[in-house]
Amino acid sequence: MTDRLRTALREAAADVPAYDVHGRAVAAARRTRRRSVSAALAVVALVALVPMGLRAGDPTPTVAAGTQGALPDRVAAPVLGALHATDRPRLGPASVVFSGQAPRMVWHEEGSRVVAVGADSDRYRTFTVGYEARTGEDVVLSPDGRLVAHGSGGPDRPQIAVIDLVRGRSRQLATGVPDSVASIPVAWSPDGSRLVVRDTVPIDEQVTGHRSVLSLLPVAGGPRVELTVGQRPDDFARAVAFSPDGRRLAYQVGDPAPLSPATDPEPGGGKLQVSDLDGEVVASFPLPSSTWLAGKGAWTPDGRWLTVVVRQGGSWRLRLVDPVNGREVHQLDAASGRETGPARLPAVSGVTAIRLLGWTDGGAAMVVGYRPHPSALAAFDGPLDMDQRTSYGNVGTVRVLALEPGSTAPRTLMTAPDEVVAVDVADDVVHTGRVRRASPPTGTGPRFWMWTGVAGLAVVALLGVAGRRWRRHRQGW
Amino acid sequence: MSETFHEFVVQRSPALSRTAYLLTGDHQLAEDLLQSALARTYRHWRRVRDGDPEAYVRRAMYHQHVSWWRRRRVTERLEAAPVGPAGGDHSDATALRLSLDAALRRLTPRQRTVLVLRYYEDLTEAQVAEALGCSVGTVKRHGHDAVRRLRAIAPELVDRPSERSTR
Repeated sequence: MTDRLRTALREAAADVPAYDVHGRAVAAARRTRRRSVSAALAVVALVALVPMGLRAGDPTPTVAAGTQGALPDRVAAPVLGALHATDRPRLGPASVVFSGQAPRMVWHEEGSRVVAVGADSDRYRTFTVGYEARTGEDVVLSPDGRLVAHGSGGPDRPQIAVIDLVRGRSRQLATGVPDSVASIPVAWSPDGSRLVVRDTVPIDEQVTGHRSVLSLLPVAGGPRVELTVGQRPDDFARAVAFSPDGRRLAYQVGDPAPLSPATDPEPGGGKLQVSDLDGEVVASFPLPSSTWLAGKGAWTPDGRWLTVVVRQGGSWRLRLVDPVNGREVHQLDAASGRETGPARLPAVSGVTAIRLLGWTDGGAAMVVGYRPHPSALAAFDGPLDMDQRTSYGNVGTVRVLALEPGSTAPRTLMTAPDEVVAVDVADDVVHTGRVRRASPPTGTGPRFWMWTGVAGLAVVALLGVAGRRWRRHRQGW
Repeated sequence: MSETFHEFVVQRSPALSRTAYLLTGDHQLAEDLLQSALARTYRHWRRVRDGDPEAYVRRAMYHQHVSWWRRRRVTERLEAAPVGPAGGDHSDATALRLSLDAALRRLTPRQRTVLVLRYYEDLTEAQVAEALGCSVGTVKRHGHDAVRRLRAIAPELVDRPSERSTR
């Protein structure tokens, strides 16, 4: 039946000349190959250029590790897609870390996205913490701004995370406190070699309460030194201050019981202790009501006195006390006979609390002023735990203020947007007192573009695969 | 590599050209089809040369041919009315040839490809299925459709005139 068809096909084919297409075929193949290579190189270049472009948009660090930076005159919430603390290019030393619940600063339900700002430029990096971080209290920046420590791990295995902002690495430390369910760093030693850590430990198997253990933990490894044990986690050792020479440290053991219940029912006060690095308490004295250890910068630069902060109604002032017995010190100028020191520093009002960051080389006190949240219900000019005074719900924003001798009002050094509720400043920056005009990042951050690029490439790849399959499908028999 | 590929092309071009022509029914298209298939083969020559490069080229031509048709690069000139048997002025062979040219144009590329593979390359249905990467059933279907269509438009190609006249 098909013999004639076969014959016709062969006869039709017999007259067909051999097409001379070798040269054109090879040329076409090479052209296609060049296009494929060009396309691949374009993709590679795109992938390579995205981070380079990101780097170009990121100010080059101008401060080498270990040198002194400056305080930005303002900070802003991180942009969408801000780089992480361990991303390249490395941040280098930070001048400031801050936290709160401003846009893009809340991580999961109760966590925080903490922001670190470069020592001398507006390069922002973020890292996440699994609790409502109060930078300066439970997320602390090392004196040189190179390291930042925060609590990590779960109740089964509490740890301290130490992020090296210069090298872009993070590592975990453990205090080894038996039965601890949480480890929170509260202070750095001046040389950055030790952390003061507060552990929370259940008092019994039924967990009817907790006690706190304050330890000195070598960052490079080694046994911890137990400093003291307290009974109330919330107010226990919220402020710890190393002496400038790093050989002593003062901390407040926040006994909430009022010293004079009949006349002053306000909580606070409690006991202030001074220990050496071996954990031996060398001094211990009670603090009056409405008086707290001022903060990490409580020691005067000469190491002679300790600074406490005193609330008088709605006004907050710094006072010097003798670290041996807690006696208030009135420094007098030998020539004029006038009082010098904190007594002549301006008071701060309109805040829930202030916290002393340290002293500038010019003699000014640099403090954090916590401004009340508009919807806060608490009255801050009356008795209230310090823990409550810096809590997320009660703080609307923060200011870094300079209390300069002889001035009548604080000078604002740094502002923060609403809902930035905590800030810590590197000691080196505090000491210089330098403030620079800041221009925080705006728009979208490098990670946004990186992921957009990756997503774009993925879409292109998927479309390519889909198109290939579609073509094959259409070619299908 | 280029020399080996060149030798392959020189040796196999005549046969491949014939197949390309039968697939397309047009010399220009056949050249383009062969060139495209050879270009593809050249790009993968290292992988292909140790196997059966000719089969690779043919397979590339079959698929490329269908692909072109889908992209409307090859306009199917389907005529409304069946082409009649060749006129009496031609010899029997010439008449068959003219009928074939006209009839092939009225088949789909798939049908034409199956036809070429089955009745020119003399492959079995299973071999055609393997060459085209489809099932034997698909080959049977396209072959059946092709022959049925040929019987309608050029019965002299599939049936002897004497056989046809007895029906």
